Amino acid sequence: MNILSFLNCNPRVLRERLEQCRQRLYRVALSWCGDRALSEDLVQETLAKALKSCSQLREQARFDSWLFTIMNNCWHDHLRRRHDHMDIDELEDYHCVHSVTPEDEHSQSQIVQRVRAAIARLPVGQREVLTLVDLEEFSYAEVAGILEIPVGTVMSRLCRGRQALKGELRELMPREVAEPARIRRVK
Amino acid sequence: MNHVSTISDEFLNALVDDQLAAPERDEILQALNGDAALRERLCELRGLKQLVQHAYPQPPGSAGLRDGFRRAWWPQSLAACFALLMVGGMAGWLAHGWRTPISEGQMMGALQALQHNDFDAKPVNYVVHVDTANPVRLKTALDETESLLSNKKAGEKVQVEIVANGPGLNLLREGASPYAQRIAELQSKYPNLALMACGQTIRKLKKAGVNVELLPHTKITPSALEQIISLRLKQHWVYIKV
Repeated sequence: MNILSFLNCNPRVLRERLEQCRQRLYRVALSWCGDRALSEDLVQETLAKALKSCSQLREQARFDSWLFTIMNNCWHDHLRRRHDHMDIDELEDYHCVHSVTPEDEHSQSQIVQRVRAAIARLPVGQREVLTLVDLEEFSYAEVAGILEIPVGTVMSRLCRGRQALKGELRELMPREVAEPARIRRVK
Repeated sequence: MNHVSTISDEFLNALVDDQLAAPERDEILQALNGDAALRERLCELRGLKQLVQHAYPQPPGSAGLRDGFRRAWWPQSLAACFALLMVGGMAGWLAHGWRTPISEGQMMGALQALQHNDFDAKPVNYVVHVDTANPVRLKTALDETESLLSNKKAGEKVQVEIVANGPGLNLLREGASPYAQRIAELQSKYPNLALMACGQTIRKLKKAGVNVELLPHTKITPSALEQIISLRLKQHWVYIKV
């Protein structure tokens, strides 16, 4: 049974469901590449490929993972076109991301920009793991499936990524306050 | 046992990301009790996760979220973010277990166990923080509240304050609350139950053109998180996040 069967064999329903995921894809794409126009291109390409290849999806439960896998492939294709002969996962491409976008102007405080810049300075592999876990709240196993890497690699990349962010954002970090005893664990 | 040297960052990350099985999670939570350095490490990791989420807010109006309404509300104001970091830092790991699926029976049992263990009967007050619109969680919040109010020992004075913000404000909104009738019954039965709505959330909704009417006897606090952190925790109220 493929995804069309799950969605009552109705391509329109599939298109609607894909459209509903557009903003989520965009958010993650933006965190990966830091460029609004490129993010929109990646999302569009992802949705088009998803529509074409929907017959490959066998389990509805994996719909999200499947979609983000497609976007990851689109993103890596883009990186390969730009950086021949490089190990993409270790690629540090911050110099070409994080131009000022309308989102930046619209929103955001210096803190947000600092966090985004720190994320953009992470190697691609760490950045992908971190954002899939933190923004989409995928499980480690799901991230491993999306990025086609072992779960142990997910954990180590996440750990290294967070260590690096911690170093850069230390002064923004919370500190434990006094009298923690008044907050009670009730389970 | 010195847990500082034995609990790795990978393990702590897995706790923050809700990737641990219950026994492993319990082991860390137990270790946290007597280990300030470990709490600090965990606090930093939770803070980092929230900073990342804050840096990439979910665009308004997007649908199809994996966990629904909750993330559509990011970000709160910057101040709220820092308040959340504070709460997340010291309480997040405690609240962590509540975010994972857990049966109501387990939660009820846990709360009763808590109460029954408090034999040195100073007045105990509770602030119940609701920030989700999930009807199951809302019902659980009310169940816990009722349990706290009804299971008190003879002569004991217990106050419970439900503080709602973000999507959780729905619990206290006229026309939006799925449990308006039950709340009215609780209020009439327990005068020591207070309802507090977050003023920031109300302002945000009104700005978006939403008409906000609150259930009878609901008070408005300028900020839910300030109410919790700056007031109730300093007054030694017990914080419960559902």
